Amino acid sequence: MIETHGLGKVYGRGLYALRDLTLTIDKGEFVFLTGPSGAGKSTLLRLLLLQERPTEGEVIVGGRNLARLSQTEVQAYRRTVGFVFQDFKLITSKTVFENVSFALRVLGLPVEQQRRRTYQVLKWVGLQHRLNSLPEELSGGEQQRVAIARALVNEPHLVLADEPTGNLDPDLSLEIMNLFREINAGGTTVVVATHDRELIKWVGRRVVQLEQGRLAGAEVPQ
Amino acid sequence: MTVVGYAFDEGWTSVRRAGKSAVISIGTIAIAFVTLGGFLLISVNVQRALDRWLEAAELSVYLQDAITDDARAALESYLASQPAVLAVEFMSKSHALERFQNDFPELADVTASLSDNPFPAALEVRLQTGQFATDMADELARTVAEREGVADVRYDRRWLARLLAIVTGARVAGAIAAAVLMLGAAFTVASVVRQSLHARRDELEIMQLVGPPFSYIRGPSIVEGLLLGGIGAAVALAAIALVFTMAGRSLEADLAGLTGGAQLRFLGVRESAILLFGGLAVGAGAGALASRAVK
Ligand SMILES: Nc1ncnc2c1ncn2[C@@H]1O[C@H](COP(=O)(O)OP(=O)(O)OP(=O)(O)O)[C@@H](O)[C@H]1O
Ligand SMILES: [Mg+2]
Repeated sequence: MIETHGLGKVYGRGLYALRDLTLTIDKGEFVFLTGPSGAGKSTLLRLLLLQERPTEGEVIVGGRNLARLSQTEVQAYRRTVGFVFQDFKLITSKTVFENVSFALRVLGLPVEQQRRRTYQVLKWVGLQHRLNSLPEELSGGEQQRVAIARALVNEPHLVLADEPTGNLDPDLSLEIMNLFREINAGGTTVVVATHDRELIKWVGRRVVQLEQGRLAGAEVPQ
Repeated sequence: MTVVGYAFDEGWTSVRRAGKSAVISIGTIAIAFVTLGGFLLISVNVQRALDRWLEAAELSVYLQDAITDDARAALESYLASQPAVLAVEFMSKSHALERFQNDFPELADVTASLSDNPFPAALEVRLQTGQFATDMADELARTVAEREGVADVRYDRRWLARLLAIVTGARVAGAIAAAVLMLGAAFTVASVVRQSLHARRDELEIMQLVGPPFSYIRGPSIVEGLLLGGIGAAVALAAIALVFTMAGRSLEADLAGLTGGAQLRFLGVRESAILLFGGLAVGAGAGALASRAVK
């Protein structure tokens, strides 16, 4: 599903956020990205979403080299990827419902279907009573769940999540992880960046460890 | 369909949010279109007056007093056979005097004191209209003056043609002025749209990550421009109509001599549609251009 070859990203004057990273993630896998702060986890996820372009090496997703995609193809590619950001990235002027349904709207689904699926997924993350709230009226954890709902609502092939439980209490974190496991059980590839060792242990899936932009060793605890 | 609905929702929201700068850009659009519409209005009415005059324009061939009946008949049939000619009518010296006396009764004293009839006999020629006929009539006016028994030729279309040239020139000048104003208006619309995009930049950045087709990014900007341009043109049309109804009636009396008493006409459906669609098109174009900044 995902292959990177000699991937490198340089910021500013020679600071390598990622360096010579070669990694393969199979279709349907559930992978944790971990490592200390500044290791390059967010950077890798941003490169996978084409939010940024690599300085070196290449990224191949679903057999397609991301560097070769045209503007239009980039947009189409993003519609097949669900993304949960460290800072949520919700549209502040739109309600919870609109934030989530927008991901379906851009797919051109009929309005009735947009409504039904948006409601289902918001109910699934336990926010069916906050449909018309604005993001600023929600707690951090609730905003996090809206972001997750948006990432999952269009049933993407690939879900990338950056600290999806960073703002949640342990119980809620486990619940969110269950959502990811559920979507992974349906065949979706899931990559989650997190510091949370407890969580990683609890879910028990493949772990990719980064350190200073390099692979520090992969382990498969199960 | 959903993209169109979305574009209209967002475009309209942006117009409302732009507030004062939206009003200013609508104002500049309106000024440009008032100029264009005013020129159209004047042009439509002047054209109508000119057309009337052109239809009535005649070629008068004044005959020498000494002309023989044969020569006159020959001249008359020569004129009648010309393709540019609609009809030829003979006006005798006494008939010409009579007409003058009818037209200017207050000068009866003068004409009564004349021992001799000073008016020449004439062949009054009514001409076909149309460019082709006009060209031929020009030629005819020149050649007939050379013929035997012709004293003089009066040909109305010469000065009408000159007037027409002036009117055309004024029309071109008006079109250029309107185009320049339009360009300025397009720039203000584009800058309002750009401001709206700037105000929404966080939102746009987030939207981009969901991967919307570009129509979702550009659509609202195009609609925003479309609305500004359309509202501007509609305001202009309303302003022209208002001025026309208030000032037109009193002008009508003043201009009766020129228009032959015909009513001044407001812009037709076609001209009004041109203005409205022009506003929509200029606005949408400016919006589309501004939205190209989004990558
Ligand atoms: N836009 C940027 N400009 C300059 N340097 C950056 C930028 N983004 C990231 N970096 C640097 O790249 C390195 C990797 O950052 P990254 O955000 O990927 O780390 P991370 O593993 O996600 O850390 P954290 O766990 O704190 O989120 C850091 O040293 C960071 O300072
Ligand atoms: Mg990070």
